[in-house]
Parts: sequence; structure tokens; C-alpha cells
Amino acid sequence: MPETTKEGVTRGGRVLSRRRLLLEGAGAAAGFAVLGPAIEGCGAASKSTSGGSSSGTAVMENYPNWMGSNVVQQFERQHPHARIKQVSTAPTSESAIVPLLKSGTYDFGLGDTTVGGQAKEIGILQPVDLARIPNIKYVSDYFRKNFPYGIPTDYGKVGIGYRPDLIKEKITSWHDLWRLAPKFSGKIVFIDLDRDSMGSALKYLGYSTNTHDPAQLQACKKALLKIKPHLQAFLGTNVGRGLIDGSTLIAMDWDFDVALNKQKQPKIEWVNPSEGMTAYLEGWMAVKGTKYLPLIEEFMNFALAPKQYGSFVNTTGSAYVEPAARQYIQKALATSPIIAPDPAVLRLVEYETYLGNALPMWESTWQEIKA
Amino acid sequence: MDGGPESRARAAGRERRLLSGLAGRRRGPLARHLLLLPTGVWTAIFFLGPLVLLGLYSFGRENLITLNVSLNWTLGNYQELGNPIYRSTLLRSLELSAETTIACAILGFPLAYLISRCRGRLQWLLLGAVIVPFWTSFLVRTYSWVNILQTFGPLDSLARGLGLTRSHINLLYTPTAVGIGIVYSYLPLMILPIYVALERVDDGLLEAAADLGAGGFRAFLRVVLPLGTPGLIAGMIIVGVPAAGEFVIPEILGGGKTLMIGNIVANQFLEVSNYPFGAALAMSLMVVLMIAVFSLRRIQSRLQI
Repeated sequence: MPETTKEGVTRGGRVLSRRRLLLEGAGAAAGFAVLGPAIEGCGAASKSTSGGSSSGTAVMENYPNWMGSNVVQQFERQHPHARIKQVSTAPTSESAIVPLLKSGTYDFGLGDTTVGGQAKEIGILQPVDLARIPNIKYVSDYFRKNFPYGIPTDYGKVGIGYRPDLIKEKITSWHDLWRLAPKFSGKIVFIDLDRDSMGSALKYLGYSTNTHDPAQLQACKKALLKIKPHLQAFLGTNVGRGLIDGSTLIAMDWDFDVALNKQKQPKIEWVNPSEGMTAYLEGWMAVKGTKYLPLIEEFMNFALAPKQYGSFVNTTGSAYVEPAARQYIQKALATSPIIAPDPAVLRLVEYETYLGNALPMWESTWQEIKA
Repeated sequence: MDGGPESRARAAGRERRLLSGLAGRRRGPLARHLLLLPTGVWTAIFFLGPLVLLGLYSFGRENLITLNVSLNWTLGNYQELGNPIYRSTLLRSLELSAETTIACAILGFPLAYLISRCRGRLQWLLLGAVIVPFWTSFLVRTYSWVNILQTFGPLDSLARGLGLTRSHINLLYTPTAVGIGIVYSYLPLMILPIYVALERVDDGLLEAAADLGAGGFRAFLRVVLPLGTPGLIAGMIIVGVPAAGEFVIPEILGGGKTLMIGNIVANQFLEVSNYPFGAALAMSLMVVLMIAVFSLRRIQSRLQI
């Protein structure tokens, strides 16, 4: 649930500390003063390659602060007749984004593969011309293949964060979490999102995170209802915060959140569960009917320039899809084994996809679990 | 005595002025109604209009894939409310609303009475203490309870420091935390109407009760409580109605383990995007609450207060 709390800016539970944002903002501003001419040059190059009209105001649906520092300002400076107007709608889930894109208010927006899938199915997706976005070459083929709706920007895995120093046991799998739940009852938190919690329970059971099978969903419900009495909470924000002081011992959590909390509490450990992980892959997509497609494509291209993309990662703290930007990403993020894992880890990942006709069944199952 | 022409002219002038005045008074209500027009139009557009829309939506169907809503006058959304999940969630919400309303009344009445009996600067100070927290964002106030109630938080430290417990207190993400959050947030809404009712109670009535031999407690029961009842009933309505649909506090302090009807309504509108079913849930909750409000008003009328 994107929102601003006193801890900082959060998006789907992904916390950015206010201090960090300020520091990064100041750093980016200082960096811009020094590197301004170089960035101008980069932008100019992108402009000459993309071509086309880039005037007008394109309205973007975006999460709060989910943009590199000064990226929009720099783009607008290079394109005096162009404006990118970001509207932060703070949706409580990915499925809430589709109605926003359908409303006709937005020219393009941020969403994950589930949003892209539904948008494509109901015909509100405007394909972008990748030939006009040459900087897409910096994005790994792996992510480009998994996000065919526009340009991929970031991804995240759902795994386990825990305190081995306090529980004195080693966790390597979802099975371990379910097994240890009675022993550490009341000290375990889960993510308050159906796709992430049910997806992880499905992995625990050995099923696909995108199942359409009613029997598998029933088994998933049973597994979650079995562990629910031992849960401290289902949390949508600050999921792993309790790991810092030990009030939470085990958390089903996003990779970036555990990486962030680990900076404050080094005793926290991250687990890539051996059964596999559910994951989201997000990106920008254009909305059908937009009058500003050339402008959107030009902006996408600009944002994918390694330096701009590095700024995006430094601001959001998300796992990155563009290895070429690594040199511009803060060392702690660029080298983190949690958010920049070994390629073998990605083989454990299954991305969430659009559920189609199974969507109502998922919704009702989740309500039965939560009720 | 018969007056002359001058006197008759004066009388005729008075009559004209009188008739003119009466006519003016007749125009008065019309002018007053015209003054109410902007409020009426505002209410019709921004209150009644959405309510009618909500009612219409509740008889519609939404295709969850295409997100298209069709108004086909179906009762399916209302039939779905028969699902035990929604019934038990509604009952749980009403139960929580009743409990927190009673808690607010028990805490609020003595406080309101105390404030009403104080005078001068002290009274303003106490009223300020009730009102000032409202100047802070509701979300900030609710999130502050997360810090207060969590393990290793101030409450935990205080209890352990005073030797009240050896183990850690963890009230966060429990039904108790939700109750504390709701009572804290809504208590001023109970105190203020009771205060307004009790502030008008003449001190002489309490002196008379004392003269007639009533002790403090008896005077409270026989004089103060009946006279404060209109404020109490107003407070119960103001607190009970929004508390029944509360979803932010259960979400933040309850840890999302127990659904309230407000959570399901919000979920249908904000996550599932099933507006017709969300509308049916909201309309049903509204009907239940209207019955409760009218019952309270009926009690108020019977008491002739």
C-alpha cells in the first residue's frame, strides 16, 4: 500500500527512509551540478536517435517517489515543449491500477506483469516501438522477455527474512517456516497481499504461483489457515521492521525490504526458499489512445540511459534490470546478494502473471483466509 | 372619537405600512429558502447524487476482467451477502462498534461532566486538551499507537520498569490494540456533545437535590445523567456510526488478521474494483446503521429529551 509514513515513503511495503531520500536527493542534485554537461550530452544523443515529436504533457500514473531524482526535470530541460506530469495514486494493490489506466486520465503508467496482462486483454495497452527506445539494449534480455508490455524497470522476489541469532535454527525453505511456526508463534509476519502470500504458500506446496486450479487454491487456503494462528500480522507496509529489534523473528518479505533492514540490523538473514519464489516484475506501459506516444517513447528511452536508470535504483532501492547501470548504482545496492543475486537464484523465481478468469476465485479465497 | 382628514390620512399611512410589513414578512420565508438553495444544490449533487449512484450500482454486475459495469437490476450482490464470511464480518464490526461506543460513553461522560463543572481558564484548558489532538493527522495519531503498543515500546518499557511484568508486553496487532485505537480516536466525539448538554445544567438543580437529601452519586444518577442523556445519545450516534465502518484502525493496529466490514468495502472498491458488490455492502451497512440511529432517536423521543 503506497503511502507516506513517519518512517518514510513506502510503496507496497517497500520503505524508503526519509533521510535516505533526502541524502540521495541532495547527492543527485550535487551530482547533477558536476555531471550536468555529461548528462546533457547523453540526453542529446537519445533525442537524436529517437526523433519524432516530443511536445505536450504526458500524464503518468506512478507510485509516490518511484522515479530517479531529477530525471523528469532533466528530461523537461532538454525538451522545453515537453512535460511529464506524474500522478501518484497510491493504489493498494496492482489490480487497482488497471481501472486507473482505463479511466482515460493517463497516457502511460507503472504496473507489473499482472497489470500488463490485463491491460492487454481488455485492449487498453498501446504497444511501444522499441526501435524508438534504443536504450532498451541495456536491459537484460531475460527481463525484456518477461515484460512484453513496455519497458521493464524493476523487480522483486518474495522470500524469507529472519534472525538466526535469536531462533538458533537454520531456515532454507518454506517448509522450514511452516515447521517452525508453532515454535515461534506470534513472532512471524506475512505480506498482506494475496498474490505474494498465496503465491508463496503455493510454492511451499510445490505448485505454480499463478495456478488456476481450484483444488490447489483450496490446499493453499488450508496451508495459510494452518499457519495464521501463529502469525503476528499480515502487513502491507514495513513488513520486516520487527526483525530489527527482534519483535519479529521470521518474516515473509520482499528482497529489497530485507536488504534495507539488514543495513540497520546486520544479524538479519535473507533466504531464497528452495521450493521457489514468487516475484513481481514492473515496468512502464503506454495507454491506448494516448496522443503523446512519441513523447512517452522518448522519455522511456531517456530514463533507460544507464546514468538515469542508476538514479532510479538509488532512489527506490529496488532490484535492477539493467546491468549496464551498475557503475552508477550505490555500492551497497549494486553488490547486495539479496537484490542483485546470482543468476542461479533467478531460476527459482516465478513471476506473477495475469490470472484472467481465475481472478475472482483468487479474490474470494484470499477473503476466506483473511476473514 | 372621530378624527379629522389629517388623522385619517395618518391612519391610512400606518395601515399601508403595516400591510407592506406583512407582505415583507410573507416574502421573508421565500428569501430564506433562496438562501438555502446553494446548500441544497451542494447536498443534492455531492451527497444525494452519489448515494443514488451507489444504490444503482448495487443492482449492477461487474465483469472483473474487462471492468465494465452493467446495470441489469440483479439482486445477486445482495444475495451474496448471505455468505457466512460477510455475515460474521458484519456482526464482528457491529460488536466492535458497540463495545467501543460503550467504552467511549463510560470514559467520556465523567470527563464531560468534569469539564462542564469547571469554569474559566481551566475549562478552556481541558476543552483544548480534548480538541487539540484533532489538529494532527488521523493517520499520524493512529501510527503513533504502533510505537506505543509494540514490543520494546514505551508501554512495554514502563510495565517492565515498574515491575508489573517480567515478560514483554505485545499489544500491537491484537483486538485490544484495535479497541484502544478506536476509543482514542473517537472519544472527543463523545465528550463534546455530552459537555454541551451538561454545560446547560443549572448549578441550582444540584443544590436543590442536595437540599432534598440526595448524595453526590444519587444526584448524579437522578439529575445529571438524565439531563446529559441527549448529549449521550448524540455522542453514541456520532461515535457508533463511523466506528462500525472503520477500516483504517483495524488495518494498522489489528495486523490485518481480522477483517471488518469496512475493510471488505474498501477492498471491493480499491483492490478488486468490484464496485457493484462494494456498493451492496455499503448500502446494507447503511441500512443497519440507520435502523440503529432511528432506534436511538425513538428512545430519545420517548424520554421527551
